[in-house]
Amino acid sequence: MTVDAGAQQITQYAIHGYAPVEVANPATAVELGAVVSNAVKNDCAVVPWGGGTHQALGKALILDGRDFVVICTRGLNRVLNYTPDDMTISVEAGMTWAELDEILKPNAQMLPMDVPLPERSTIGGAFAVGADGPRRLSWGTLRDMLIGISVVEASGRITKSGGMTVKNVSGYDLGKLYHGSLGTLAVVTSTNFKLVPRPRAEATARCEFSTLDDAFHLIDALHETQLVPAAVELVVERAARQWDASTQSAIEAAPARFQVAVRAEGLPGAVERHIRDVPTLAHAAHALESTVLSGDDHKSYWAYVNDLSRIADQPLDRLVLKLTCLPGQLQRLLAESIRIATLRQVLLSFNARAGNGVAYLRLRGGHDALIAFHRDLSQLHPRLTLMAAARGVRSQVPIWGNQLAGLEVMQRIKHEFDPHNVLNPGRFVV
Amino acid sequence: MNMESFISSLQSLVGKQYVVLEKAALMLYEADGCVITPHMPDVVIIPETTEQIVAAVKLARAAGVPVIARGSGTGLSGGSTPINGGLVITTTRMTKILEVDTRNNRVRVQPGVINFELSQYLGAYGYYFAPDPSSQKACSIGGNIGMNSGGPHCVKYGVTASHIMGVQMVLEDGSVLWTGDGAPDSIGYDLTGITVGSAGSFGLVTEAWLRIMRLPESVRVVLALYPDIVSAAETVSAIIAGGLLPSALEMMDKLVIKAVNDAYKLGLPDSAYAALIIEVDGVDDGLDDLMAEVVALCRQKGALEVRPAKTPEEQTRVWAARKNAFGAMGRLARSYYLVDTVVPRTKLPFLLDQVVKISKKYDLPVANVFHAGDGNLHPLVLYDKTRGDEDHRAHMIAYEVMKLCVEQGGVISGEHGVGLEKKEYMPDLFTTDDLAAMAALHQSFNASGMFNPGKTFPTSQQPHDLVLHRRAAFGLPGGVPLRLSFAVDGEHEHTAGVAANSVIDKVVAAGGWV
Repeated sequence: MTVDAGAQQITQYAIHGYAPVEVANPATAVELGAVVSNAVKNDCAVVPWGGGTHQALGKALILDGRDFVVICTRGLNRVLNYTPDDMTISVEAGMTWAELDEILKPNAQMLPMDVPLPERSTIGGAFAVGADGPRRLSWGTLRDMLIGISVVEASGRITKSGGMTVKNVSGYDLGKLYHGSLGTLAVVTSTNFKLVPRPRAEATARCEFSTLDDAFHLIDALHETQLVPAAVELVVERAARQWDASTQSAIEAAPARFQVAVRAEGLPGAVERHIRDVPTLAHAAHALESTVLSGDDHKSYWAYVNDLSRIADQPLDRLVLKLTCLPGQLQRLLAESIRIATLRQVLLSFNARAGNGVAYLRLRGGHDALIAFHRDLSQLHPRLTLMAAARGVRSQVPIWGNQLAGLEVMQRIKHEFDPHNVLNPGRFVV
Repeated sequence: MNMESFISSLQSLVGKQYVVLEKAALMLYEADGCVITPHMPDVVIIPETTEQIVAAVKLARAAGVPVIARGSGTGLSGGSTPINGGLVITTTRMTKILEVDTRNNRVRVQPGVINFELSQYLGAYGYYFAPDPSSQKACSIGGNIGMNSGGPHCVKYGVTASHIMGVQMVLEDGSVLWTGDGAPDSIGYDLTGITVGSAGSFGLVTEAWLRIMRLPESVRVVLALYPDIVSAAETVSAIIAGGLLPSALEMMDKLVIKAVNDAYKLGLPDSAYAALIIEVDGVDDGLDDLMAEVVALCRQKGALEVRPAKTPEEQTRVWAARKNAFGAMGRLARSYYLVDTVVPRTKLPFLLDQVVKISKKYDLPVANVFHAGDGNLHPLVLYDKTRGDEDHRAHMIAYEVMKLCVEQGGVISGEHGVGLEKKEYMPDLFTTDDLAAMAALHQSFNASGMFNPGKTFPTSQQPHDLVLHRRAAFGLPGGVPLRLSFAVDGEHEHTAGVAANSVIDKVVAAGGWV
């Protein structure tokens, strides 16, 4: 294990402006456990760190005078168990998504997650933040693919739940508890997943509309069919343009295009059917045009879409929000977002998992305008998670939205799992 | 509060006719489908509303009486057996489908709704609820949630946990919590996800939002018959490894084929030693090609006969054979012991071979009908419990199969749950520290221990002891155990951390289950 204490390495791991006292790079789960034990002994807090692509997420650390240690998991990047014909795999938390894909590719298998920045993002990190991707429509998230997990607890001890079988009801499902818990209950050291076959064929029908309503005519029509698209993503660049207060008019830019990308995967016949039917439905919904993407065009388009929800390395005037709602509420909430963005004179782009009810909103504008946008939208809809923003903005808006059911139970869980509040203190909901 | 005033309070709460007190009637509630360790409740109520359950929980808490939730009683691990007595709250009158919302792929139901009836109801909308346990014609949604039920179609669509969007639950303090409403990625810890499969030990589920799915445009089903069970198992491996993504992949062996043949006149050839039911679904396009590929694979692996079921009627008949297999077992033996274990899928041929050997060793027939695509074995030990030591031998077979599965990288339960039946085997899979993490979760919801005591955790490692063990690792004072009057009798002398394997040895040496 190596420990970095040089000034340069340390600042690289700063969180919301706080620098750690130490960056540990354990190579095994046992070493990781020792780091946590030592941190507790020295009255330090612990921040688990995978690829660092989602460290902007969450509230500021509450250290109460303590120092904190960053535990970088990249040294834990081995495959622990992979029998391809079982269609399951156990991998350590520090492996990146790109590394995992290289391992699965020769066996025509995949873990269909579509995280942003797969070259950097780690499996443990994506699990801890509860990441999602466009293909959650057909495969769900890691919550649905996880079959077993090992963690280092806040006491430094290693525990596990689940196993290597695709079905398992032996004891409580702690994997569900750790998923999306932002490393506040334990540090994930390895995860076991069920795998699925790589599709034999895949292609995309990308349909462009001039209005949000038309785009939703296609989305609603698709919902009524028995088609089974792998993803239905609504991609909109510059939904609301900058407002020029002096001239009381929109600053001219290319007019907004509302893109609905329907990804089809599976049997060649089934993919052809989707590629045939979707443009017909789009035409009826007044699409400007529909394009079929296949091969490298299809691949690079989805790599672009997957990266849209990234929050690493965002410019300081940028606000990134994740809005979650029922799929049937999405159209109204996006229309309201456009209205408010125009009113508040901020630039808005977004992409949405239209079949699921998840939207990532990206805003650019002045400090006050961004805060005003957030206030207006969260009055209409409380389920807004702040993914990234400049410090001045993040200090003035609720990071985890305004609606949280079961806070008392969550507090009890946090207290049982991390009684000394060592793991990512203050950053999550409790 | 004494028992008398507790009961009269219950009577004024739900009405006298919905409070069960007579001994003969209470006996109906002494076990679920797992009858090895029955125990009578003190009282049963059959409420109609969430508010009544809230009031009942408050009364029970004040009276120091354990509360056990019960759906249709079809469970197979003793999850709803009132092992310490107490109050059983059964949901058989809470059968309303409250709201169908197809635009948001969800339906809101009361917990007593029957699984099969829900999917029948949703069929009119072009939707269904995917989890379909074999008991689906009788089992309740509340039970499915409590046990995280499986079923044939989980191989493609996942177990119950992936289909529950949120639950309304009554907590131990009598408060009511909705954990979700169908909007994705609930903020905070995933209370829905951890509650599914907790066997009513976190609270009582009184309503739920379920994820519903559009019925597939097309379905193809094939019945393939084999001269031996190993070639059938090899077909299963080839279908999974070949990435054919079946929506169901089920196996039945010779004994089961005979039983369903006799019962349902299916006319399957007697020479068949194994049958596979293989289903694929999706849009119609390409499905025939996929089916042709499946048929070719079956033949290549030595199938005697491959029968495609094209029409919905034919498909229903093939499925009836599978879904009613347990019912047909009565033709073969007076009793059966249904074992539920899972192994990594490539271990299936080996396990099936070993099951035959174990069956011979104890000289009792074992039938196999199971979710092959998931590696989820269901050996059915056929015996007569009134005859000699057959009861003991049946349990020994179950024990050996389970032990072997664990040795092969499997686990002790795939879909029936731990409940009472398998709690003593938990240390085979989990260390005391692992169990203590589960106990921490138990503690967060059920600190009083009032909900469904005596389940999931081995007798020697009860949740409160485990919590103290765990707190000690954090340097926290243990203090007095928090356990109040809900404890399993005679457990106080045990402490956490008893050597794991000795528990099982003791159970077996004692001649069976605890």
